[in-house]
Amino acid sequence: MERLFIEKTEYTPTIEMDGSKQLIDIRGDSFPENTYDFYKPVISWLEEYFKDARSDVTTVNMEINYFNSSSSQLFFDFFDILEEAANMGTKLEVNWIYNIKNESSHEAGEDFLEEFTSFKINMIEK
Amino acid sequence: MRKEQLVIQELESMQADFMTLTNKIIKDARRHEKIIELSDKQHFYNYEKLKKQYNEIKALNDEIEKTQAEVIFTLGAVGEARSKETGFHVKRVAEYSKMFALYYGLDEDEVEMLRVVSPMHDIGKIAIPDHILNKPGKLDDKEFARMQEHSILGHEMLKHSDRPLLKAASIVALEHHEKYDGTGYPHGKKGEEIHIYGRITAISDVFDALGSDRCYKKAWSDEQIFSFFKEQRGKHFDPKLVDIFFEHLDEFLLVRNKYVDEQK
Repeated sequence: MERLFIEKTEYTPTIEMDGSKQLIDIRGDSFPENTYDFYKPVISWLEEYFKDARSDVTTVNMEINYFNSSSSQLFFDFFDILEEAANMGTKLEVNWIYNIKNESSHEAGEDFLEEFTSFKINMIEK
Repeated sequence: MRKEQLVIQELESMQADFMTLTNKIIKDARRHEKIIELSDKQHFYNYEKLKKQYNEIKALNDEIEKTQAEVIFTLGAVGEARSKETGFHVKRVAEYSKMFALYYGLDEDEVEMLRVVSPMHDIGKIAIPDHILNKPGKLDDKEFARMQEHSILGHEMLKHSDRPLLKAASIVALEHHEKYDGTGYPHGKKGEEIHIYGRITAISDVFDALGSDRCYKKAWSDEQIFSFFKEQRGKHFDPKLVDIFFEHLDEFLLVRNKYVDEQK
């Protein structure tokens, strides 16, 4: 699969999706003007990547500081795709990285932890 | 199969679909609840953070403005110290100017600016030699001409800055010896040609000078000062300012008593 790399901006995070490294990395702030449009390539890439079960472990790192509600919604959809992959047998290592002072990010991580039970989400304090 | 069985099968299938659909809707509703709750918290947190930062910036701003005013004020006092005027003369002139500006109708910012810069009016005296500045007697024509230069000199010192405060100070330095009827110096400006800052500083400075002992004269009595002002209404002074003076006489006298010079 083609590597997907999106440079960070004031309103959107750095996105790195590398099939050869089995790595998905999203870091920064997320409050784009149109969340659906911005993340469309990311969701497409994800669906393509996970369409069949995988034998190797895929690492997903997410470090989001400030995010708006539509980004929140999108992350839920993102995790839905991961859950489907986990249910198919794909192994995942998911890391939700948050700053100790960032209550919102911490709480969001806890919400995801509570909702998605078919794969482990590691809460990593920075 | 009996007809009832078919109906039951179909209904059970519908039941199952309905369950799936409603479960999905419930799941989405719960997600939305969490998202909104989190969003509200974020809003609140950000508001508090911005409020805190705004207050910090405001405090810094106030500090800058106060420092600015104090430095300029002190500079004015330094200028006056050479001609042996006390620090209180500077304070009184500042307060008189502020009151004139307020009652004349200038806006808040200008009132405050005038309070700060009017004490700077004699800064040019720094360039006037001691024997003229502190001569106990009357100045001869040559000495008087030299003394008069302090208004142009003060203006020259301050005119190069773009800072509003110093620009105002340069006007005050230049025009505080102009007279309403055009007989003042350095340029013999008349009436409203004289900047309001100059007209205000003139009357403030003269009021304080007349009421204080100087090296070349004793203080005038209040009656003498008041009749001088009445007489000079429209001549030395802007008539509106003289009217303001008498309308608020008690306030001016209050200031004079508040900042009274220590007896030597």
